[in-house]
Amino acid sequence: MKRKSIWSWLWIIIGVIYFVLPLYSTFDFSLRAKKGVLSFLAYQNVFKDPNFWSTIAFSLVIALFTILVSILLVVPTAYWIRLRLPQLRGMLEFISILPFVVPAIVLVFGLIRVFSGPPFFLTNTFFGTDALLVAAYVVLALPYVFRSVDTGLAAIDVRSLTEAAQSLGASWATILFKIIFPNLRVAILSSAFLTMATVIGEYTIASFMVGIKAFGPYMSLVGQNKTYESSSLAIISFLVTWSFMGLIQVFNRGKAEGSSLSGAR
Amino acid sequence: MRSKTLLCLVSVFVAMSMLMAACSTPTAAPTAAPAPATAVPAPATAVPAPATAVPATAAPAATAVPATSAPAATAMPATAAPAAAPTIDPALVTAAKAEGNLTVVGLPHDWCNYGEAISTFSSTYGIAINELNPDASSGDEIQAIIANEANKGPQAPDVIDVGFGSTPQLIAQKLVQPYKVSTWDSIPAATKDPDGNWYGDYYGVLALEVNSDVVKDVPQDWSDLLKPEYKGQVALAGDPRGSAQAQFSVIAAAIYNGGTLDDVTAGLTFFKNVNAAGNFVPVIAKQATVAKGETPVILRWDYNALSDKDSLAGNPNIAVVYPKSGTIAGIYVQAISAFAPHPNAAKLWEEYLYSDAGQNVWLKGYCHPIRYTDMQTRGVIPSDLAAKLPAFSGPVAFPTLDQINAANKAIADNWMTVVGADVK
Amino acid sequence: MSNKQDPMLNEKRDAPKARPAPLPWRDWIGVIPFFLFAILFILLPSATLLVGAFRDSTGKLTLMNFSGLFVPSILGAYWVTIKISLATALGGGLLGFLMAYAVTIGNLPRPLRSALMTFSGVASNFAGVPLAFAFIATLGRTGLVTVLLKNILGLNLYNQGFSLYSFWGLSLTYMFFQFPLMILVITPALDGLKKEWREAAENLGASQSLYWRKVALPILTPSILGAMILLFGNSFGAYATAYSLTGGFINLITIVIGSQIKGDVLFNPGLGYALAVGMIVVMAVMMAIYYSLRRRSERWLRQ
Repeated sequence: MKRKSIWSWLWIIIGVIYFVLPLYSTFDFSLRAKKGVLSFLAYQNVFKDPNFWSTIAFSLVIALFTILVSILLVVPTAYWIRLRLPQLRGMLEFISILPFVVPAIVLVFGLIRVFSGPPFFLTNTFFGTDALLVAAYVVLALPYVFRSVDTGLAAIDVRSLTEAAQSLGASWATILFKIIFPNLRVAILSSAFLTMATVIGEYTIASFMVGIKAFGPYMSLVGQNKTYESSSLAIISFLVTWSFMGLIQVFNRGKAEGSSLSGAR
Repeated sequence: MRSKTLLCLVSVFVAMSMLMAACSTPTAAPTAAPAPATAVPAPATAVPAPATAVPATAAPAATAVPATSAPAATAMPATAAPAAAPTIDPALVTAAKAEGNLTVVGLPHDWCNYGEAISTFSSTYGIAINELNPDASSGDEIQAIIANEANKGPQAPDVIDVGFGSTPQLIAQKLVQPYKVSTWDSIPAATKDPDGNWYGDYYGVLALEVNSDVVKDVPQDWSDLLKPEYKGQVALAGDPRGSAQAQFSVIAAAIYNGGTLDDVTAGLTFFKNVNAAGNFVPVIAKQATVAKGETPVILRWDYNALSDKDSLAGNPNIAVVYPKSGTIAGIYVQAISAFAPHPNAAKLWEEYLYSDAGQNVWLKGYCHPIRYTDMQTRGVIPSDLAAKLPAFSGPVAFPTLDQINAANKAIADNWMTVVGADVK
Repeated sequence: MSNKQDPMLNEKRDAPKARPAPLPWRDWIGVIPFFLFAILFILLPSATLLVGAFRDSTGKLTLMNFSGLFVPSILGAYWVTIKISLATALGGGLLGFLMAYAVTIGNLPRPLRSALMTFSGVASNFAGVPLAFAFIATLGRTGLVTVLLKNILGLNLYNQGFSLYSFWGLSLTYMFFQFPLMILVITPALDGLKKEWREAAENLGASQSLYWRKVALPILTPSILGAMILLFGNSFGAYATAYSLTGGFINLITIVIGSQIKGDVLFNPGLGYALAVGMIVVMAVMMAIYYSLRRRSERWLRQ
């Protein structure tokens, strides 16, 4: 039976208007770099700046690593807890909420204090610092990643899948990578998006950890002194992040569409 | 099928690692025309009447007064070649170059033209500068030093540039190491710590930055801000509980609206009245909000206002106005961290900043370098630079450290209750 | 209907008594990496928070910082922050849910769903200075919408008492990243609502609303609650947006903490840490409420 889509369209249209208006206002402002005339001058200035390219590349790479680490860390743990240790679920949820209430400035200085001295000495090399940055971002993304994955796990029958796979002789690695991960595709994708967006724009931690090498501090530097460029930078970063996410989605589309056990829509 | 995607993933991972390793090198400072490290032997003629007379008829109870020279000095005609400023110790230069890096924090590029200072220093000495958090407040910079006590990595700031009011904390918590630059003697005594722990670097004067495309009738004085024609147009450039710009705005409002440097209540009342008249916009104003017209009248350090004016280049037009009744000056200070991982590079940086060349770089950013009077006397300020500083002959108050701290405390305690721009 | 495909029986099956019996300690190996990470990178760095909350400026142990919490301005700050977090969690949760529903069950074209998902990913973190400015440019005194309304409808928002720099203005701004977050988090759950159930319900003569009331919503409630807790926390901990939009003039708890810890004037980091511990307590209370609500809703899922 065909359902009327009027209400669906209504909500979408309301949502779209809500999203588009502020973005459009920013875009409109960014076009006014030349007095009295609409032009892309602000955008040209941004693209001409080599620091724009280096910082956005840096942040994108950090984002990709953060996504990998957080998914590899959270999915098996959430799966395992659901399967074998449900009594730990509360603790896991509480830990996943902590990054919200620990102020970023406390986190970054705390991380520096703990890891810059013995026995870690992480901050003595650039690679170590970048690794520490990835760790900090995994922490920041934790609430979102955990919530997405948990919601996704709730929708599939973890126990039956595991038992069925075990009865067919699958190892834990096979179960995780060939059964659980594919079934959580939508959830993993959501968390990847959330993580990427978190990392690209993040400011406080990056600014004290790596300074203006990262995109967030770079945006702040521009925003202090260049009005139109900072608006165009906001729009550009929005578009870059969006296209990168689109890329991730396309990369995912390659897999068979209807393989999810949770029911094709 | 699976192994293909796995292979794909692994190769992407490897490629990314290589990319990250390549990107992990410190960003090289952009090349700039190498400026001579020593004094600029400017054969300029007498520098015209000093901008912002130091200290002109100061407001009541202004004691701490930089500049020991005669007021309204006409510079000595530059006949012979001016006495060159002391040169920098070559051993220091070698040691600094060996360290190869310098970490700074809280330096926006258009604040006193720090961008040029950074790139010039970097290209002259080949020392890479690692810039942390350009938006850091004085408190952030100090916290960065404390948190990085054990850290020799690139997160530990070597040098800081903080407000005058932060100096007691630097000494009490032993956060800085003493150093006296070679031009130490020409820094006015009232603006430096006698043991060399901290030293004033530049000062600016509070002004009104006005978007004159939106505001046709530019306000000229404090009392104008209460007029109904400026409804919803007046803002501060910071949080009065934390930002020096905002705090000094309140102190200045106090002095010229019935209060004194020792009692800031009149300033709080002034802003209460501005708010009551509906003129106050409770947002932290920046260049963008001024340009948009959302906060077309703001209180700002004159060097920031003037550099905004340059940066916007007429789009929109910015008027920089010193309030007629008088204004206030705010000093910032330099210091070297006690735990600096690159102490020699830090010392070299200070030498550069306090050389005539370095001071002129700040002057180019519309700041009054602390050695202004000395340089003026020796005639080493290029006339075009000196001409850029707008002349202001009205009263300028120079608060002492105690007055600043007492005022800040009173503002922090009472801002919410008195001015009450609160969210319900 | 085979038991294996019915997640309604999940909870019962997950109950400990149905478990086969490997050596119990082996189970804990699976969670070691995560907890190790949590200890190293969350708990240890945050230790300064706990330790600092009990110290005064000379380093001695004290409870004074906590007594400093019970002044009207601080309690007011907590209350305003909780209010705004509740408002944006509920408002954002509602519209987010409706939009997620529209693209999953609502039969809208597939490309729209992908576009919405990717867009939500970006929008959910478009916060801080750019978001504040975007809203200033839209709803500020000289904002696009304000001017448009004035010119076309003759309606002056600010004369009517609206202001972007107020509780509702800030809430509107927060919602910009709250709906997308809700959309992203609830979509997997909506995907999990099997078509078969709706069809079965319809075959048995149930109307749309009955299906929703008795079948779909009970199943979705735990996930919706979980998502709302996320939205609450997201809003509770938000700092950059509020600071950029209202410059510390709003008495939000994150801003108060920031000014204590940054130490510009009100340099009392002990109080700042105590305030942060207070935030942890508030979140813990919210989580307790969330648990009891979730347990109540999960009763539907146990036969």
